[in-house]
Parts: sequence; structure tokens; C-alpha cells
Amino acid sequence: MERPVPGRHLAGVCAGLAEHLGLNVRYVRWAFLLSCLAGGAGIVAYLFLWALTPQSLGQDLTPGADEAATSRSAGEPVRNLVVGLGLLVVGGVFFAQQQGLNLRLGVLIPLLAVAAGAVLAWSKLDDAERDRWLARDTGSAGRRAGLIRLGIGITLATVGVVVLATQGRGLAGLWDVGIAAVAVLVGAALIAAPWGVRLWTDLRTEQTQRIRETERADIAAHLHDSVLQTLALIQRKAGDPAEVVRLARAQERELRGWLYAGPVGSQASLASAVTAVAHEVEDLRGIPIELVVTGDRTLDPGGTALVRALREALLNAVRHGAAPVSVYVEVGPGVVEAFVRDHGPGFDLADVPQDRFGVRESILGRMRRHGGSAGIRRLEHGTEVSITLPVTAAPDSMAQPDSAAASDSMAQPSSGSPADPPSSPETEGTR
Amino acid sequence: MNAPRHSLTTAIRLVLVDDHRMFRSGVKAELDESMLIVGEAGDVDEAIVVVAATRPDVVLLDVHLPGGNGHGGSDVITGSGSVTTGSGEPVRFLALSVSDAAEDVIAVIRAGARGYVTKTIGGQDLTEAIRRVADGDAVFSPRLAGFVLDAFGAAAGEVAVIDEELDRLSAREREVMRLIARGYQYKEVAKELFISIKTVETHVSSVLRKLQLSSRHELTAWAVGRHLL
Repeated sequence: MERPVPGRHLAGVCAGLAEHLGLNVRYVRWAFLLSCLAGGAGIVAYLFLWALTPQSLGQDLTPGADEAATSRSAGEPVRNLVVGLGLLVVGGVFFAQQQGLNLRLGVLIPLLAVAAGAVLAWSKLDDAERDRWLARDTGSAGRRAGLIRLGIGITLATVGVVVLATQGRGLAGLWDVGIAAVAVLVGAALIAAPWGVRLWTDLRTEQTQRIRETERADIAAHLHDSVLQTLALIQRKAGDPAEVVRLARAQERELRGWLYAGPVGSQASLASAVTAVAHEVEDLRGIPIELVVTGDRTLDPGGTALVRALREALLNAVRHGAAPVSVYVEVGPGVVEAFVRDHGPGFDLADVPQDRFGVRESILGRMRRHGGSAGIRRLEHGTEVSITLPVTAAPDSMAQPDSAAASDSMAQPSSGSPADPPSSPETEGTR
Repeated sequence: MNAPRHSLTTAIRLVLVDDHRMFRSGVKAELDESMLIVGEAGDVDEAIVVVAATRPDVVLLDVHLPGGNGHGGSDVITGSGSVTTGSGEPVRFLALSVSDAAEDVIAVIRAGARGYVTKTIGGQDLTEAIRRVADGDAVFSPRLAGFVLDAFGAAAGEVAVIDEELDRLSAREREVMRLIARGYQYKEVAKELFISIKTVETHVSSVLRKLQLSSRHELTAWAVGRHLL
């Protein structure tokens, strides 16, 4: 049996009971009301059921109704409960007095105070209430309201108990009783304190241990999914060195990304696109690529073209060149420069047959179409492809024309001494 | 061009510090006879003792090490700060790491390492790097050069007006760093810029000094993140 939240008037006991027994809620409510007259049996039964049945967590209702119900449940039921109980009790007492019964109000009122205090304090223990506070995160306001309720409840109960205990004794007696009570409390606290502390630390230890175990399980799961699988694959492919290198490299990268994952930019950033391309080519041929990227910017069409040209250059480097292959991409405020360097025998563009489009179209032509430039140099050991793309970030390119020009002369050092003006894209392309 | 103090005939006395025995033996197998391994250590405290006892020319130092104050290689460098070799030179440290994380690299460089290379480096290049460090020069991997360009804002166009400025690279230093980031060897850098290898080494050492002493926000932020300041 559960206490539903929607459609409840107080704590949902009647609704829950009706649902459980398959009866009409109305009959159940009337039955409770009537039984209240029978010496308050209904009240006791209601409180008993309220304390023992959990509030239902099912959300099988329309969002609007749910909202209305929760907003209603926030304060109304409690107010209803208090007012209703108060009225019932006052009415009952007057009724009894009129019937000539001596109810000994001196006992009854403190008892009621204790009961009211207990209800107020215990209501804080209501699971659903607590969950609601946590989930809603009303912060200090909600917490303060809870504390006030708890304080009022405790005060009421204490006053009730004290009044009950000091029946017919007066202030002197109250003093004695107070001292005795305090003494007993202090004694009990002294005896219980070590146990309490121990219990608390045990709880904390267990909590931290559980957190650590969860973390450990996460790490173990990740290692199992990645490293152990790769190691198994490597063992099976031990005869194929290229494949083993490729697997090891891919795994290393994956693990590195997992361990040292820094502030990763958005997927659409130039740096991440460059990294993705480098990894792709690395996986394709199993040749390690040393990648260095400085700076970053959002990926625009020009940047995409640069990444594609870079990919072509990388493919050439791993296909015709030799390791180590280095890539350096510098994203400056006025210009993006990329360099792909390998240590192969190198080649001259003039030697490449005219019908091969790789270099001429995919790198040089593409960059030219996007307002950039590209060049190929033969070094003593290997080849270097340089790709330059001026970026049109308005404020930056305006502010730093000097650095952009300086970078241009760096990008095409083949044009002679660094003092020479940078060669134009056209001459670069027709070489 | 000055002749290197450590010619091929005099062996460089080397201490290997790495917590993986397998990696140490791998390095030993790769180095040629111009390197004399005089000691090995597997953690920070052992390393400090071994360095003090053997007084090597170069310590090949893993960035991640157990023991000490929990800062790995940096602790070894601070722990053997005043140790000198037999000829009165300070003991030099070359950091070696699988980690590409900027804070690890910057931390160990700022602690006093003369250079940084990744563990995937080939035997030939490693030998050359050790010799360079033994001569008091700095060794930058392409990645470290990339870090430097980023950290000093050089990639974004910031250039020092005077060379001595600690928080920025000079135009020449920037060019050298860019070429190293592009995968150029020192001699290729020299050829490219029409300067001598010695001048390249001077520029790199100067960048290393800036890297160690600069109070640039990006660098100090890394150091603070590692509880080094």
C-alpha cells in the first residue's frame, strides 16, 4: 500500500487505502471521519497508517496535474491537518466537559502539546518530504523552514513533558526535576558519546570506501574495455608488426585522452579537427605522427579547407616519406599556418607527373581557392609542406598586420632570404 | 662554434631514474658506449641518494615517480640542488615522460630540468639529447616548443621588445621555437635561419631560462596547480 500524492487531502492515507482495498475514496474518508468520533480511533488509525505507509513515487499522471498536486502538497495538507486536528480536539474536549466528564485539562493540554510537537518534529522524517527538499534544492529557505518546524516541535514537546512531570509541584519542584533531568541527560550523553562518535566515523569510512570502490570499478571497467582488449588483440596479431604498432598507438592515444583530457574545445574547433585528421591518418598507415597545435579558433570553411589540405599532405608524408612525421599548426590572430614534415627522400613538384592531382589540386589548388597558399620544400632530410591561410577575424587582422606579414615570410622560406617578400600563391602553384 | 666539452671519447656519466625497471633496461640497451651508466633509482628518495653518491653528468629523470613530496621528478631536482660533478659542473637533469600534459612538463622544467623528451624518442636522438644536456644546453621536443609558443603568447603574435624580457620571447627565439615545433633538428634550424648551431643553442637556453624564471600568468598558473609555489 502506498500513499499517492495527487488527489490527496492530508497525507493521502485514505486515497491509498481506498486504492489498496478497491473502494471508493469517499467511503473510506467518511469511515475515517466517523471512526474519529468513536473515541478518536480514526485519528489514531490515520496517524498509524501515515507513519507506516510510504508515499508513492509513481508519476503516472499528466504534468499539469502533477505540478498542481506538488504545489498543493507543499503546505496545504499540513495546515489542513493542524487546523482539523485542533478543531476536533477542542470540539471533543468541550463535548466531554458538557457531558460532565472531568478530563483533567492539566494533563490533557500538556499531552496534546507533546503530541503536536512530536508530529511536527517527526514530519521532518517523512521520506518524501526530505526527498522533495533535496530535489527541489530550495536552499537555505527550505532548510530554515524545516529547522523552524523542528525547533517548534521540540519546544512544544519539551514544555509538555516538563509541565506533565511537574504536576502540582510549582517552580521549586520544576527546578529539582530540571536538574535531575539535565544530570541524567549529561550522564547518558557521556556514556553514549564514544559510541556515537565511533558510529559516525564508521559511517564516514564506509562512505569514502564506497566512493573509492566506485571509482576503482570505473577505472577497471575502462581499462578492461580499452587496454585489456587491445592487449589481447596485440597478442593475437603478434606476427604483424605494422598492425601491432597501429593498435598500440591507437590505444596509447585513447588512454592519453582519457587520462589527460584537458579543457577540450567544441567539436567544431580547428585544433580538434586537425587532431582528428592526424589520428585518422596515423591509424590508416600505422606511422606515428608528432602533432603540435598552438592556439585555436572556430572551424570556418577556410579552416575546413586547410584541414583537408593538411590531410592530403599527411597522407603523402606517411605514404612516400619516412618517420618521424611532424605536424605543426599555429593558429595565430591573423593567419593559420600548418607544416607537415617527413624524413623521406623528398621529391620535387616538377618531377610529379601532370596527371597526379594529389599535391597540385588537393593541397595547392584548394588553398589558393580559399585565399590561402601552400608550398612544398625539399629539405636535406625529407620534405616539408607548408600551408598558410589568412584569417579574417576583423579586429585581430586589423590590429596585427606586422605579425601576419612576418609569418608569411616564414611560411615560404624557399623564396630565398627571409627578407624577400613572400612569393605569391600563383607562382607557388605553377611550380 | 665551440667544441663540445663532452667529445665522443669521454663517456658521459649517467644516472637513470624511472620506476619501471623494464624501461630502464630498455634505455640501457639503446644507449651506446659513450654513455656510462653509474647508477639507477626507482623512486624519489633513492634517486636523491644515488645522485648525491655518484655525482653524474646527467640524470635521465622520469617525470612521474613515487616517493618524495609527491611531485615526482621535480622533487628529485630540488632534492639534489647543490650536487656538482667531479669537475664542478652542476648535475644536469633531462626529463623523460610519457605524459604530454603541459603541467607535468612545465613543472619539471621550472624545477630546473634542462630539457624534456618523450619516452618514444629513438636511441640516436636520446643519445644526442643527453650529450647536449651534458654540455649545458637545453633540449626541447617539438611538443615542448609548442607549449612554450602557447604559454608565452608567441603563437598569438606577442613578441618581446627587448630580448631580456622574461615574459615574452624575442622574435628570434620565436622563430627557433617554431622550427623546433615543426620537427627540425638544431642543425636544420641553424641552416634555416643562417645562424650557427651554437647560436641556436644559445636561443634555446635563453628560452629555457625564461620558462624557468618567468612569472607569466599561464606558467605560474600551471605551477600553482601543481602546488609548486
